[in-house]
Amino acid sequence: MTKNKKVVLAAKNVIKEYQMEGLTVQALRGVSLEIEEGEFVAIIGPSGSGKSTLMHIIGCLDIPTSGEILLDGHQVSKMQERSLAEIRNKKIGFVFQSFNLLARTSALENVALPLSYNGTTEDEAEELAKKALIKVGLGERLYHHPNQLSGGQQQRVAIARALVTNPTILLGDEPTGNLDSKSGKEVMEIFHDLHKQGKTIILVTHDDKVADQADRKIRLKDGLVAK
Amino acid sequence: MPFKQLFRTAWRSIKVNKSRSLLTVLGVIIGVASVIILVSVGSGLKDYITNEMQDMGSNLVMVMPGDIKLDKMGAGGSAMSSSFAAMQASKLKLEYIDDLRQGIPEIKDIVGIVMGSAPARYQNEVISSQVLGTTENYTDLRQYGFVSGGFFGKADVNSGRKVAVIGYKIADELFGDIPPVGEKIKLGEYRYTVIGVIEEKGGQGTMSPDDKVYVPITVAQRQFGQSNIGIIFAEAKSADDVARVVSQSEEILKRRLDADEFTVLDQKEILSTVSGILNTLTIALGGIAAISLLVGGIGIMNMMLVSVTERTREIGLRKALGAKPEVIMAQFLTEAVMLSVGGGIFGILLGGGGAMLLSLFMPTTITAWSVAIAFIVSAAVGIIFGVTPAKRASELSPIEALRHE
Ligand SMILES: Nc1ncnc2c1ncn2[C@@H]1O[C@H](COP(=O)(O)OP(=O)(O)OP(=O)(O)O)[C@@H](O)[C@H]1O
Ligand SMILES: [Mg+2]
Repeated sequence: MTKNKKVVLAAKNVIKEYQMEGLTVQALRGVSLEIEEGEFVAIIGPSGSGKSTLMHIIGCLDIPTSGEILLDGHQVSKMQERSLAEIRNKKIGFVFQSFNLLARTSALENVALPLSYNGTTEDEAEELAKKALIKVGLGERLYHHPNQLSGGQQQRVAIARALVTNPTILLGDEPTGNLDSKSGKEVMEIFHDLHKQGKTIILVTHDDKVADQADRKIRLKDGLVAK
Repeated sequence: MPFKQLFRTAWRSIKVNKSRSLLTVLGVIIGVASVIILVSVGSGLKDYITNEMQDMGSNLVMVMPGDIKLDKMGAGGSAMSSSFAAMQASKLKLEYIDDLRQGIPEIKDIVGIVMGSAPARYQNEVISSQVLGTTENYTDLRQYGFVSGGFFGKADVNSGRKVAVIGYKIADELFGDIPPVGEKIKLGEYRYTVIGVIEEKGGQGTMSPDDKVYVPITVAQRQFGQSNIGIIFAEAKSADDVARVVSQSEEILKRRLDADEFTVLDQKEILSTVSGILNTLTIALGGIAAISLLVGGIGIMNMMLVSVTERTREIGLRKALGAKPEVIMAQFLTEAVMLSVGGGIFGILLGGGGAMLLSLFMPTTITAWSVAIAFIVSAAVGIIFGVTPAKRASELSPIEALRHE
């Protein structure tokens, strides 16, 4: 890796606890990590080790019980919901395992959705959404609804949606987990292309082949980063 | 988020849940429509009666049997029916008409009426008719034209001849193409000779002659077994004379009857009493309908609550993509208001159409205030019942919402 790269994401001693029937479950027990600009990082680890929990916290979808998250210089762990919404919109592109597209809504409208929350005009949003869909190879499927698309295509729509705001980092929680190996490969190729274009990418994966393609692997075990 | 976009998002999710939206909105549609229709019936009735009263001439004074205290009548419609009962037990006598005419120079015209109904029969045709027993000068009070023949005269009244003047509709239905004058018709058990047919006047109800049969009051008394008369109408010579006609009539009748056996009213008093009763009726009808509007509103709240639960994942996704709480709130609120206002507009169209359709059978008047109130209430219903679910949606944490099954 090249030296003197800017750190875009830093987690410092992040702890996440869940209360369940009076019992405290520690999903994260003090995770610290740094991600540099342009890095492609794979997060691996056994089921229940806290990968998703960590991704949600990094993605500002959830707040840590304690610890700090610095995203592009912003102290997000202390932010209110309103500001978090803005960070999610501008700095984060999140790709879920279960695509999470709006049903009965066209690919184009799905991709344009994040832009509707940051004051982009509708014309501009449509233009940007079109570009993002072309980028993921769906230029011919702009007006298809999710149920008219294959799983791989749906996930590509979801990636286009994550890209459309040109976020600082792209996060994926097992983005190929619901796909067959061929579609999975296609989706991974898109991530690689994006990486080559300089995007910072963090993926959670169970697939060793996928993990091996990353610049760096971070292994979680029982809510801690393993050596 | 600009309003246009908010509107479009809301419209999209209404469309996506077409049938559920429609069912919900149905409550509001029915509520608004029934407010408009019921109020139109109430105020139509009022306009109709008021018009009829005014048709009778503004200088009209009525002498009615029984003690009809106007200030007691405001409470409800029972005054109407009780005055019909009073007509049956009337103590007003035919000769009072002459007493009043002679005693009060300010009276221009005065007539007495005995009312009844009987099947009218000509050969094999039978229809029900309203029989008005009256005096020969009835045509001074109400100017009618005649298709053929004319009204009966004083001699007919005095001698009690069985002659009848029939309305246009009666003539049409009983006789068809046969010229009625000179023919004999049966009213109940009595046989009458038709001597005149009144021109078509249109409308229906007590003032329209179309479905009535006019006979000499003396014959009507016999036919309906009444020794007295139901009501006396007098017309004062001018508006300034009305008060004097009222007080003089009371004076004269007091010498012949007890104070509680008759009531003298002028048109203004009758009008204000009747419109008072009918206003109460209209408000009561509107109130009943308003309850159904409220029920419609609760339907919207229920749908929005269900919608929030059902669409929890969608809300979570929108939040994950950067929707602020107030944007989610605005979206759901917009949806609720669009549903209720849309329902309101449809309800107004339906109510307006229904009221117009009803006007074929009864008088209806669509009032601007009922439309305005129905519309404002339906919009308010959307806001009031939309706030709770919208607030709930806006407060969900994005990840919990996304994890929702
Ligand atoms: N909402 C929650 N309430 C209670 N416990 C939770 C909740 N979410 C996660 N946990 C617990 O936190 C731990 C970490 O869960 P997490 O989903 O992060 O694991 P994971 O590494 O993503 O697993 P997998 O590979 O199966 O997706 C688990 O023990 C899980 O039971
Ligand atoms: Mg997971």
